[in-house]
Amino acid sequence: MTVQFKLPDVGEGIHEAEIVSWLVKEGDTVREFDPIVEVQTDKALVELPSPASGTILEIKAPAGELAHVGDVIVVIGEGAAAPAASASASASVQGSPEPGMIQPAVESGMGSVAPGGVGAQTSGAVAVDASVGAQAPNAQGAQGATLVAGRVLATPATRKLARDLGVDIRQVAGTGKAGRVTKEDVQSFHQGGGQVAAPVAAAPTTQAAPAAPLAPAKPLTAATPVAVASTEADERVPLRGLRRTIAQRMVQSAFTAPHVTAFDDVDMTELIAYRKQANTLLAERGVKLTYLPFIMKALVSALKAHPFLNAYMDDERGEIVLKKEYNLGVAVDTPDGLMVPVIKNVDKKSILDIAADINALIEKTKNRQLEVNDMKGGTFTITNMGPIGGLFATPILNYPEVGILGVHKIEEKPVVRNGEIVIRSMMNLSLSFDHRVIDGAESVRFTNHIKKLLENPNLLFLEMS
Amino acid sequence: MVVGDIAQEVEVVVIGGGPGGYVAAIRAAQLGKEVVLIDKDTVGGVCLNRGCIPSKALIHAAKTADHAKYAGGIGIKVGAVEVDMPQVQEWKGGVVKKLTGGVSSLLKANDVTVVSGNAVLMADNRVGVETTSGMEYFKFEHCILATGSRPVQIPTFPFDGEYILSSTEALELGEVPQDLLVIGGGYIGLELGTAYAKLGAKVTFVEMADNLLPGVDPSLVQIVKKNLRKRGVEILTSTGAKGYEIQDGKVHVTVDAKGEARTIVADKVLVTVGRRPNTEELGLEQVGLSVNERGFLETDSQCRTQNKTIYAIGDIATGPMLAHKASKEGIVAAEAIAGHASEMDVVAIPAVIFTDPEIATVGLTETEAKAQGLDVTVGKFPFAANGRALTTNEGDGYGIVVAETASGVVLGVHLVGPEASNLIGEAALALEMGATVEDLHLTVHPHPTLTEVLMEAAADVEGVAVHIAKRK
Repeated sequence: MTVQFKLPDVGEGIHEAEIVSWLVKEGDTVREFDPIVEVQTDKALVELPSPASGTILEIKAPAGELAHVGDVIVVIGEGAAAPAASASASASVQGSPEPGMIQPAVESGMGSVAPGGVGAQTSGAVAVDASVGAQAPNAQGAQGATLVAGRVLATPATRKLARDLGVDIRQVAGTGKAGRVTKEDVQSFHQGGGQVAAPVAAAPTTQAAPAAPLAPAKPLTAATPVAVASTEADERVPLRGLRRTIAQRMVQSAFTAPHVTAFDDVDMTELIAYRKQANTLLAERGVKLTYLPFIMKALVSALKAHPFLNAYMDDERGEIVLKKEYNLGVAVDTPDGLMVPVIKNVDKKSILDIAADINALIEKTKNRQLEVNDMKGGTFTITNMGPIGGLFATPILNYPEVGILGVHKIEEKPVVRNGEIVIRSMMNLSLSFDHRVIDGAESVRFTNHIKKLLENPNLLFLEMS
Repeated sequence: MVVGDIAQEVEVVVIGGGPGGYVAAIRAAQLGKEVVLIDKDTVGGVCLNRGCIPSKALIHAAKTADHAKYAGGIGIKVGAVEVDMPQVQEWKGGVVKKLTGGVSSLLKANDVTVVSGNAVLMADNRVGVETTSGMEYFKFEHCILATGSRPVQIPTFPFDGEYILSSTEALELGEVPQDLLVIGGGYIGLELGTAYAKLGAKVTFVEMADNLLPGVDPSLVQIVKKNLRKRGVEILTSTGAKGYEIQDGKVHVTVDAKGEARTIVADKVLVTVGRRPNTEELGLEQVGLSVNERGFLETDSQCRTQNKTIYAIGDIATGPMLAHKASKEGIVAAEAIAGHASEMDVVAIPAVIFTDPEIATVGLTETEAKAQGLDVTVGKFPFAANGRALTTNEGDGYGIVVAETASGVVLGVHLVGPEASNLIGEAALALEMGATVEDLHLTVHPHPTLTEVLMEAAADVEGVAVHIAKRK
């Protein structure tokens, strides 16, 4: 009896996850609920527990691979340690490459394929496969192709396409006559579309040879992809995990919402003095405030005054959804790429509470401990480029939010006050907004609101709830 | 001088310039690799120089003589047919030269460097070549072994080039022997034996197994045997050749025919009992490789050996010893080296035998399919019911289509009949495409052609062949 552990939907509505690392190896004994694998979903790193006690028979989705929800990622033999023979028997039932053939992927020391699971898209599905053993000549290959005389019906060109895309054709359900797998079947399987949750298998390449080009599992745009020629000196880095999520989100946002970015500057001199005073008072409590909680508080006030900036664009229904919560996403730079944890209910929190929340979330982000919930529900995003540098930016919206505020470094600059040049501490703001929802004039009024509060910190008190 | 120690660096070395090696070299070059092809002989290998091509030329000459001989039957009087063997050989040589010359220019056009000499692997990335001017060394990233095979020699009948011939010498005969004994009724012996029979020799076949062409569906072989007997050829199956002696310029061969000793006198004895992979002098042990118990190198689906920088294709690798299998493997190996995801994923490798009539098969026979537990339906159509076959006076034989009953998917096609070798290509395509018998018979086939036999045999699987009465 074996348990085929399928990648569950660890968040809400995720489709795929990158296998970051296996905490167990084939042959290891595990107990139910022992953590066995780390996966990177859209934005969170999640540890998955073993669904059963037993022996790890076969790791089907090696580290680095992109697995789809419903894919079998590991086969666990229940009960006492199972002999290797049962592992290979279970592999043959799933339509793995013939045991006799030395499959190229074997070199990586891993099974080559993570079989897809038709109808296994329910979250956390664990299919128990007790039918290890006989393989009828006309069996259904894995959960995919119909086999005729032990082979998948597909033209040579279709088989080649599958290899080029790294798809195990035996996993693909054929829609053609007599169960033929068509090129379209392979393509939609590869893109995870259609009725099948699709694995992306390792391409059959060799150690000695450069990896065959592996197309992105989902095209990032509707436009025809451009093949990029490269020389041998170039390094090709697969678009995976967080980077891929970022790329997808950015493309979706940039090519859906007409972005406009408005710039302004804020005189931070008063706030600097205020913050200095506050930090002196707070020193004995061991607390140190940054500018961000003040800026967030000012931002919420502006959002309340301009409700269309605290909104979602519902493209499908052609409606603007005005959010009644004020949850501010904070873009955080991590070694793996951009992540956006969300500070919830900023309107209901004190500056000290906000500061504590920010610290906690940033800590979690850096330690890759963010949970899916920590990144959900944002209504507006702040991207703080101050610590790094730069004058201005044109941030891309965290779609479907309609506004994002870039805040830049505070610098002493000569400015004119009452007809005289004086030195003040200035900070630039870059506000991008969805022009479908917001017009230019309103964006300026919105920035003015923020500016007024930050330049007159005393007014911020009036915003306390 | 220590020149020998300086190795020339090259990306791909191909050893052997036959239909596996030269195709691999050209493909690798097309993919941008710098390629050196080492061959100890003329490029083209056995196939072009001593196999497929010269034998087909000889077979064509024999067929022409045969047609002329029997042309009277259709009203064409040509008088006595005379075979000028030296001229046949000269013409045959011209064909071979044209083809090998073509291969040479293709290699040149693709910037493949051809080195003549014996290659020996020295290390994982190093090969030495014994040339007429001394040793040359190459340091490679990848190597493709394609050294082919040679005729097996049996100790009791050592080849002497005079009386006891291998296929190589049999292709070069300056005159047609009066009596020819062929030991080994496999396809090579049968093809050459048939050709010499048509050229006027009295031919006897001796085969250990209980039928000619062991491994081929006996129902196909039956037609060929019937034709040979009609021609006066003697076929001794379940018969072993024990030994021989030369007396008065003739070979007296002792055979054991089902326990009964008998002596057959012949001018020449052709021994065609199989072919052996050329692996012994390659230096395989220097790169950690060894052959399996049957003498072949095991490879993976990309034709790679256990040594990951070294590939093996064609007759030295497992699988049937066929030129087209070697060429396909050559392409796969070259593409694998270039990082492509190519694999030997062929559904079936067709086989053709140039007997009279020809035999061509691809995929499973009914017996093989049933042995695999498959439920199959078989369709059959005779060439005698095909207009084109009758107009060329070649109505012998039939086509068989084996299909999976439930899906109608074609699993095998087996032909014995005129131009079977040319007809099997369509069947191979059908198998690769996963075509059903319906696909085959719904496709319009031109009339009057031999291809209609395939269409009708496919239709017969469903009981709807038009030109034969329905089986009750």
